[in-house]
Amino acid sequence: MAIDLPNLGQTALVRRQLQVVLALDCSGSMTGDKIASLNYAMRAAIPEMRAAAADNPETDLMVRVLRFASGAQWHVPDPTLVDDLEWTDLAAGGETHMGEALCAIADILNPEYMPGRQLPPVIVLVSDGQPSDDFDMGMKRLLAAPYGQRALRVAVAIGGDADIEILERFIAHPDFKPLRANNAQDLVNRIKWATTVPVKSVSQSTNAPDPLTVLARDAERQKKTASDVIW
Amino acid sequence: MSGTTNDELPRGTPLMTVHGRRRGHVENLLGAGGQGAVYAVAIEGTRFALKWYHDDIASIDRTLRARLSRAIGIGPPTDRFLWPIDLVEIAGSKSFGYVMPLRDGDYNGMRDLIARPPKRIDLPLSKRVMVCLRIAQNFLELHARGFCYQDINFGNIFFHTQSGDILICDNDNVDIDGMDAAVFGTRKFMAPEVVRRETLPSTKTDLFSMAVLFFYIIHSWHPLDGRRENEVQIMDSSAETSLYGRNPVFIFDPQDQSNGPVPGVHDAIVARWNSLTPAIRSLFTRSFTVGLRQPGERVLEPEWRTNFARMVDGCVSCQHCGYDQAPRQGVKGQTLMPTVCVACGRPMALPPVLLIGRDTITLGPGIGIAIHHIDPDRPVDFTTMAGIVEEHPTNKGVWGLRNMTRNAWKVTLSDGSAVTVDPGRAVRIMDETTVDFGRRVGRFVTGDTASVPRERPR
Repeated sequence: MAIDLPNLGQTALVRRQLQVVLALDCSGSMTGDKIASLNYAMRAAIPEMRAAAADNPETDLMVRVLRFASGAQWHVPDPTLVDDLEWTDLAAGGETHMGEALCAIADILNPEYMPGRQLPPVIVLVSDGQPSDDFDMGMKRLLAAPYGQRALRVAVAIGGDADIEILERFIAHPDFKPLRANNAQDLVNRIKWATTVPVKSVSQSTNAPDPLTVLARDAERQKKTASDVIW
Repeated sequence: MSGTTNDELPRGTPLMTVHGRRRGHVENLLGAGGQGAVYAVAIEGTRFALKWYHDDIASIDRTLRARLSRAIGIGPPTDRFLWPIDLVEIAGSKSFGYVMPLRDGDYNGMRDLIARPPKRIDLPLSKRVMVCLRIAQNFLELHARGFCYQDINFGNIFFHTQSGDILICDNDNVDIDGMDAAVFGTRKFMAPEVVRRETLPSTKTDLFSMAVLFFYIIHSWHPLDGRRENEVQIMDSSAETSLYGRNPVFIFDPQDQSNGPVPGVHDAIVARWNSLTPAIRSLFTRSFTVGLRQPGERVLEPEWRTNFARMVDGCVSCQHCGYDQAPRQGVKGQTLMPTVCVACGRPMALPPVLLIGRDTITLGPGIGIAIHHIDPDRPVDFTTMAGIVEEHPTNKGVWGLRNMTRNAWKVTLSDGSAVTVDPGRAVRIMDETTVDFGRRVGRFVTGDTASVPRERPR
């Protein structure tokens, strides 16, 4: 029997990717302990993200980070394998241009910036305030992007001044609400949750009919732990 | 789960076992999952693992406590299951948990076979097949007792890289076959009818998940991921339901090539497939063609066990490129076919083998033949040896098979002369020498390699 010989040396199986985009509020109101806590939370979340990625061995977990204040700039512009991700501290100052941040994300939610085989991208939006630019325009652009509707959207509200209604509109799911972080320990836990549980939801055994219901149930469990200490 | 929820148990938390009324305390967190967390605990001086559930799990999974109690009462099918030993309660807590043996740290997770290099463990083919064999042996014991596991996936079975032995964790979903299952399963491991939500897990869906796991262990790849999966840009739930539920097609379906391998993409998977014995390929084909649609036609463990055991014996590596593969047998297994390497295409020197019935045992230094090879009534067990390949003590380059049984072997040489090999003596491995082991008769075939065996991949 003739066998077609494989070219094992030159071919490597390309792995499916899961793209996580973190959009972090660095406006003036984040100055001081809040931005320090956010930086700490990100450093604490990276090992957890690596562990979550290891639980899903067929997929490469790629991370980008966007900061928004007066305008939006990529902090980690290239999709970076979570194993290679090193955290550089963010600084706070300026307004809350959340709409611009959503436009910047909309620009990469397409096959050109997310090439090859992908899982639905995960977008994590973290904010402590109200958008000072056109949120609706940003949201419209985001949902119009080729991969926008299919992205899994998660939001973390920092402190009592965060605009919960805006974050709910960002998530746009009846059962799945923004996570609230009222102190530094909460923030560490919420960031860990938001960066790992959506990743795990694609590889975990489940009792629920769809991943968002699992997320909603788990988020509910998180809420009970929220501390009453307000910043 | 985040592993940082409010119900995390602090070190030193006192606990009590429900049936044994033994006292212990929590030592440290080992890991967290969707239903709860696992801790190392000490109970009267002995260390165990404690699975502690989230407060709300008992209300979501209403049969959990009864299932665990029943499993505890019946005991583990084999010692490879890290089975619940006793329920545990903690004063002041609404939740509960169970203790089980701690997992030995020398075992690796199945995910390590699939992980991105350099984290990936590259296990030789014979060892991968040994892991599959052990899984088949142990799930046979579970299913034969009327239980189903419900959620076979690469997260709950661990393997030992040296011995190929396994450990089966997460036994809290185990239930009597036919009872309403507590989980659907894990994505890409669920049987198509479960993906379509037409049925709940059962022994029949376990058989499908187990076949998927075997395919993953051997190929580091999923059996339904071919051309169609490769063309899905965003794998959302509707694409998944189509590929693994509504319209599943095996990558090596002989009748339907619509999801076949893509040249230049799946070459490594094709090479691995070609390296398997025809019997194993046939079992995979049955599992992922007729077995996709007819749960009653799925391959049962004894058939996997027999054919994995045969393949463990037969693996060789190409002397040119080192690729592990099973040599092809001739008609009725009476000889080995001249063959070319499935990876580099160069002719392979045939290894010296012992042919016994349909078993082909590749011979190499230190390789043993097991009792089950020479006695068809003995269970498959690679640890009990009947003979071992050894070099002549003074005549280097001369190899023989030492009789480690208590009975003499009757040997007929190629010229027709007969000799007896008493226990403790060795017979030289020479072409066309026949050995009567008592219950079965074997024959050495040394092909073109004279009588010098090569190392077999271990």
